[in-house]
Amino acid sequence: MTDLYLQDWRAWTPHRETAGECRLDTREKPAGAAVPSMLRRRLNLLGRAVCDMLATLDSGADSIVLHASRHGDGERTLEMLYGLNDGEPLSPARFGLSVHNATVGVYSIASGNRRSQQAVAASGGEWAALMAEARGYLADGQPSVIIVFSDQPVPRRFAAYAPESSSAAVVLRLGRDPNPGARRLSETSVELELETATLQPLDIIDWLMDRRRVVACPLSRRSWQFPAVRP
Amino acid sequence: MTTTALEHELKEMIIETLELEDVTPDDIDRDEPLFVEGLGLDSIDALELGLALQKRYGITLESEAESSRQHFANLKSLAALVESRRQK
Repeated sequence: MTDLYLQDWRAWTPHRETAGECRLDTREKPAGAAVPSMLRRRLNLLGRAVCDMLATLDSGADSIVLHASRHGDGERTLEMLYGLNDGEPLSPARFGLSVHNATVGVYSIASGNRRSQQAVAASGGEWAALMAEARGYLADGQPSVIIVFSDQPVPRRFAAYAPESSSAAVVLRLGRDPNPGARRLSETSVELELETATLQPLDIIDWLMDRRRVVACPLSRRSWQFPAVRP
Repeated sequence: MTTTALEHELKEMIIETLELEDVTPDDIDRDEPLFVEGLGLDSIDALELGLALQKRYGITLESEAESSRQHFANLKSLAALVESRRQK
């Protein structure tokens, strides 16, 4: 299996303390400064955070970007559906930004990055899907890819049907080679009860900050960790 | 309602409807283009603005018509459209 290295990362969530970690942004309102104001106005807070972090890790605007979110902008989508049901006309701007690839699309326009992008939803298996996609691109010869994992709370009307989730986003640059400061990532098979909680962006943030040793996906029965001793 | 008052109302509608965060009514010049140049609105804004005119003033525009382009040229022409075609 292709060796996988975490070359750099950034994360955003107001639900954790930075504890001196400068790669974690905990501001309630991320600036969205990487996107011109005429584009930024249509992004929600999560989208602004993601675009800022992408601009940092994709400074050459030439990386392949893979984005996963279990629910996407559920609030916006659901409100539109209720509006349609009430016979109200659909807002073109809201519709445009409700699609699953909206945030990375805006990033592409703002940065001029015209490489491949993917937007994934995987019923709780988002992290495993991202890793599989990333491995594919790396095995195919890409030196590095950028993955984005973001989610926000499920709309209140549907909260009873899905695990609780918090606003959080994490952006990682994964590569085949260990650049200075990179950490090798090992992936292994693992037996897990299917009822095990699915991975959310906050879990990945805790893992990146060494607050947990392993992250595991019950759907794919895979787990990931940073081996203590580098080869 | 004087034209100036209507123009001000339209400026506020544009800012609110199109979520123009950093724009105040004073920033919108009545003679400057609204789209691409000037204020810098895009094609999605045009659709959004058409919807707002329909909701607030009962005006339905033909999307393909060249006249729509003229109505949306600047704030002055937009105010003239609302004045002549408003249903409410």
